[in-house]
Amino acid sequence: CNSKSVVFLLIFSCPPAKPGLTSCRSPEKETFTCWWKPGSDGGLPTTHALYYRKESSETVYECPDYHTAGENSCFFNKNDTSIWVNYNITVVATNALGRAFSDPVEIDVVYIVKPNPPEKVTVTVMEDKGWPFLRVSWEPPHKADTRSGWITLIYELRVKLEEEIDWEMHLAGQQKMFNIFSLRSGGKYLVEVRCKPDHGFWSEWSSTSYIKVPDYFHREKSTWILITVFSTFTFLILMWLLHMNRHNLKHCILPPVPGPKIKGFDKQLLKNGKSNQIFSALVVPDFPPATSSNYEDFQVEYLEVYVRREQELVLEESKDLHNSCLKSESSTSDCDSGRGSCDSHTLLMAKCREAKEGERQTDRECSPMRTEAQRRLKDWEEEALNYAHAGIVSLEMSSGRVKTWPSVFSPLPRYSSSPLDQQSSLQMAKQLSLSTSSYLTQPGHSTKEALGQSYWDLCLSSKQPHLLNPPTPVCRELQAHSDVNISSIGHKRAPAGPRSPALHTTEYVEVQRVDNKDTLLLQPVVQGCGRMGGCFQMPHGEVYSKVKGVDSDNVLLLQREGMGEDRCPCVEQETNEVTGSCHKSCTVSTTQKPSGCIYTAVPVRDEMATMANGYVDTATMCTLHTC
Amino acid sequence: MPGNIRSVSFAWMVLVYLLFCSRRASVGAAPICANAQAGCHVLSLANLFDRVIQHSARTHSISNDLHSEFEQYFLPSKNHIGRVSRNCHTSSILTPNGKDNAQRMAREELTEVILKLLVAWRDPLWHFHQNMAHHHDFNNFSSNKALEMSDMVHELRKGVEKVAEKMQVLGIISNTVSSLASPEASLPSDSAEWRLMKDYNLLSCFRRDSNKVQNYLKILKCRIVPEHGC
Repeated sequence: CNSKSVVFLLIFSCPPAKPGLTSCRSPEKETFTCWWKPGSDGGLPTTHALYYRKESSETVYECPDYHTAGENSCFFNKNDTSIWVNYNITVVATNALGRAFSDPVEIDVVYIVKPNPPEKVTVTVMEDKGWPFLRVSWEPPHKADTRSGWITLIYELRVKLEEEIDWEMHLAGQQKMFNIFSLRSGGKYLVEVRCKPDHGFWSEWSSTSYIKVPDYFHREKSTWILITVFSTFTFLILMWLLHMNRHNLKHCILPPVPGPKIKGFDKQLLKNGKSNQIFSALVVPDFPPATSSNYEDFQVEYLEVYVRREQELVLEESKDLHNSCLKSESSTSDCDSGRGSCDSHTLLMAKCREAKEGERQTDRECSPMRTEAQRRLKDWEEEALNYAHAGIVSLEMSSGRVKTWPSVFSPLPRYSSSPLDQQSSLQMAKQLSLSTSSYLTQPGHSTKEALGQSYWDLCLSSKQPHLLNPPTPVCRELQAHSDVNISSIGHKRAPAGPRSPALHTTEYVEVQRVDNKDTLLLQPVVQGCGRMGGCFQMPHGEVYSKVKGVDSDNVLLLQREGMGEDRCPCVEQETNEVTGSCHKSCTVSTTQKPSGCIYTAVPVRDEMATMANGYVDTATMCTLHTC
Repeated sequence: MPGNIRSVSFAWMVLVYLLFCSRRASVGAAPICANAQAGCHVLSLANLFDRVIQHSARTHSISNDLHSEFEQYFLPSKNHIGRVSRNCHTSSILTPNGKDNAQRMAREELTEVILKLLVAWRDPLWHFHQNMAHHHDFNNFSSNKALEMSDMVHELRKGVEKVAEKMQVLGIISNTVSSLASPEASLPSDSAEWRLMKDYNLLSCFRRDSNKVQNYLKILKCRIVPEHGC
């Protein structure tokens, strides 16, 4: 029935629609109220009436109070309320055209109790050992009689910070007081309480109570102060411990960088000095150390053996056995004093000067043959100086000074009388300035190529008088250059002397070691491609330890030692273009110089004794015939 | 051999009997002595009341559960109009229907009413439980609840009797309280539907009566010993 339009009010009026009971509630289980919702009134004034019937009674009663509880309500007061009695309630809507009955509702007051919210909610801030907490207390609703035990209420409260969204619920049971802990300092809290009977409905939340928790930061501050002080102490102790162990830590964290292990290397100068000083810094005064270390530790020297044209046996004592002799005087003495004397570039030892006296004689004796060599030597000296390394005596040795020790080849007694106190220290292996100049034989003699003839210049710092034999036709000159630069120097040597055909072949024999018997252990070394001719291959592993003798052709015969094979101190023979193995060259050389072969057969002891000292008697050399 | 067996069996039986007896004795907790007799653990009246009230609350809770269960499974229509007249067998017992009435009633009367109610419900609940077990109307859980309910009412009655005894001893109430004979509950009918209705009716009635008991006990307690929780 549509009753919207007023126009059709009279025409389209209808009996009222069925009302409906919405709810019935009792606040204290003593009274109760029922509300209904009226239906459409059908366009006519409609009245509603509530009728109820009690359990097990057919009497119908009408609502006693329509007004107390408001509109569309029925209030049952105490007298009309019976607990534990079923009420059968019906609402009737009546208008001019008809009636409408609502659906009956059966209720028992016991089960429809919804109390009022708790009253007098108070929230206070209290302190428990310095820490604050909230104490919430309330009263039950004044209507609900909990004192007599008629109603038993249980309470629930909720708390939240002002800026939060979610509430924190707490069930308080039957107590009327509750404590809330763990508060935020300075926070503002909201508290609400509600209650519920044993079997019933929850009440509405009470009005919000606001409480502000005071700041107890100062209390926390003291704690922070304590923590700060404690941590400071701990920190100081830690720092002190670190300071005590800083060295260990430093080694642990930053391990020391291993420095250069070059012997005699001056790091400080390297760090501070200029570039040109660095090289000088590399030269250590006391290098090489003349300690009694193993001879083998020393850098191997290269003996540049070349045959000089002059039939001169030049032996240079290039090393001073004493440590003082190791000190090199970089002064360049003149050519006169070079040959056969100690104070050459290569040696330059003070003590050697003593032996010079004897040498001079030999120098003079051999002088005619020497000038040439001296000139060459001078060149070498200059070159050597260019590569001057003060600390490397070997360079000094390689100055090219030719020395002759004629006395070396003198008969034994001469040598035997002369003490060689340096016998032990043939570590002058380094200082052996053995150079060989592949000079040709003496011009006077047959132009036998003094190939494969090696000269040994052994300049020892002995005081032995070195007598240069009367100038022999053959004076070999041996010089050994113990440095790499020697090779270059050797390269720079004028290959061809004015007198001699260019037969400068350079043999480099490696001074392996010098044993305690003052035996020079030599080892031929492959030089590589020399400037002249093809390469030759020296047999490795050859140990030439002893000078066996000198043959008539002024060939220094070395006695090989330790090898079971026959090898020859083969020298590159330029003219013969020997490129084969030693054997070949041997064969070649044998054709020329059968005496070039050395056999390990016979050590000439007497001569060995002398030659062990490194002296080769030119006279002997010139006269011996061995092979 | 037979002698040994006999002695052993005898000793075994003695042992079992002793255990059984001790167990039986411990079921009822410490005997409550109203007169502070020797060897008894004396409880205060307030304590007694609390126990009893808790017990009644528990009873009511179970009955409420059973009632709603029954309503949910067997009467889905939620028809609050009782097709069967709600005629509880305990309606003959005069019980106060309001706070005023209850407060006006004397303690003795109130105690009597409580006891009457409890007595009246002992047998019907027992039968109810039996019906449930036999006819499989309810599930096992509900059947257990029914049994528990029956037992609790039994215990509750004993408890209230003890309270009454205590009160009488203390002189709070006179000695007029006596356990009256319970009114006979109507015997269940044979019809299944009738039985079903009766069960629902019974549960409704008992639900109400257990609430009454609880409420009356609280009133008594707050009237007699109002110190705690009133």
